[in-house]
Amino acid sequence: MKGENTAVSGSFRDPSGFLFWHEQRLYRQVNRDYSEHYDLLIASRLYDKLVGAGQLIAHEECDVRLARTPDAYKVIRPELVPFISYPFEWCFSQLKDAALLTLDIQRTALEHGMSLKDASAYNVQFVHGRPVLIDTLSFEKYPAGRPWVAYRQFCQHFLAPLALMAHRDVRLNQMSRLFLDGIPLDLASSLLPAGTRWRFSLLSHIHMHARSQQRYADKPVPGKTRPMSRFALLALLNSLETAVRKLSWRPRGSEWAEYYENTNYSDQARDLKKKLVADFLQQLNPGHVCDIGANTGVFSRLAAERGIPTVALDIDAAAVEKNYLQVRRADEKFMLPLVGDITNPSPGIGWENSERLPLLQRFPVDMALALALVHHLAIANNLPLAKIADFFSRSCRSLVIEFIPKSDSQVRRLLATREDIFPDYSVVGFEKEFQEHFTIERREAIAGTERILYLMRRRVHGRE
Amino acid sequence: MKQTKYAGRSILLLATLCLLFPFYSYGYIDPGTGSYVFQILVAALVAVSFAVKVYWLKIKGFIAGLFTKKGK
Repeated sequence: MKGENTAVSGSFRDPSGFLFWHEQRLYRQVNRDYSEHYDLLIASRLYDKLVGAGQLIAHEECDVRLARTPDAYKVIRPELVPFISYPFEWCFSQLKDAALLTLDIQRTALEHGMSLKDASAYNVQFVHGRPVLIDTLSFEKYPAGRPWVAYRQFCQHFLAPLALMAHRDVRLNQMSRLFLDGIPLDLASSLLPAGTRWRFSLLSHIHMHARSQQRYADKPVPGKTRPMSRFALLALLNSLETAVRKLSWRPRGSEWAEYYENTNYSDQARDLKKKLVADFLQQLNPGHVCDIGANTGVFSRLAAERGIPTVALDIDAAAVEKNYLQVRRADEKFMLPLVGDITNPSPGIGWENSERLPLLQRFPVDMALALALVHHLAIANNLPLAKIADFFSRSCRSLVIEFIPKSDSQVRRLLATREDIFPDYSVVGFEKEFQEHFTIERREAIAGTERILYLMRRRVHGRE
Repeated sequence: MKQTKYAGRSILLLATLCLLFPFYSYGYIDPGTGSYVFQILVAALVAVSFAVKVYWLKIKGFIAGLFTKKGK
């Protein structure tokens, strides 16, 4: 990913420029064709306004001799995003905030005589807990009278998944993984409940919009199309904003969102576990942390509160939603909650399966937290301990991992409805497999439970 | 001579057409004809309520301003 002189795999579609790595630093080449728009972005002070508001990634201009191709106008170095995440890994409120950001930026751009030429959800990333537009080349000079070219893309990338999550099932955000350019509106229209036709915003921007797309399929824009005034464009943005704001989803009744209320941990044992994890973090002081199976982020926060950029990954959208709302409420800068299943992590998608990278290639994981996770992998998912140990050895340099024996009530519950085919699932079996790859630095029993917390450091060199 | 006359007429006709029907380049993503046509229609529709909203906010601001001044 960060090889010398390599173009970033997902930045080839826009002819205005592209991203590339050089000496472990990320640069963006701005092509000559885009010079007029880039200069206007700076001269109109739109760049200053958006960066000042924390809505656009900041950059500095560099020596143009770093350019990769002769048609370069400028080379800029954008601020680095610690973790790249994709829309199908976001919870409802993350996607909603990204949608509102895009509309807000478009409104500000119009005030400065510019317009967004695309509205891809992939152009938004979460930096310091908030959504930020990372594509500096998404702006173009606004040609008076022209409708918004990115209207279709906005509806497909934001409005359709949000409507499906709010009105059908929150898990439908995963559909964005199948459709690279957003959820087709005819599909969204057919999946949404009939009742959504009574909401003007969804009736117009999804249902009727889908019909219009079908009617004009493969036809050019009619010559007699009337220009669209700036006021009408602002009205359209206002209507889209209302549509997005009216969509809501509240997590309740999910498996994990109430997890901490349903465990067999006493307050004392949980406090001890927290203290141990904090000790381990202090001992190794990792550069980045990924908490796998983080739930609402109680333990991830121990790392984030120390100023360590931390990803809190969990399979349950409700737990991630709760976590993100907490990040937003407390303006937490170092925590990124994401929806993800470690037994089926996001694959590489798009052109040559590399336009959008697999989850595990995007994160610089110095330390992984795997708390109350191994029994789910080994027993609920039938993953042999050797494979689990091997996976962690390729994913992180150090590991805080909890082993929960068969005698624990949570494991007994997993085994209650199935045959015990896991003879190696024991402390001895666990340590044997992990010591193939790791040195056990600390081994601490959590008093009041039968669980053991380990701090391990990788011995063999895996993926760096 | 005749050819020059035709060329001149063609340029004039093209210029008139360009003025009547402005030509836009649509950028590197396809806006989609259906989406393009539809947004003009829906924007015209929502522009009415948006205008009401904008003017209502202005009137409210004006009235609030009067009372604030009085209060001062």
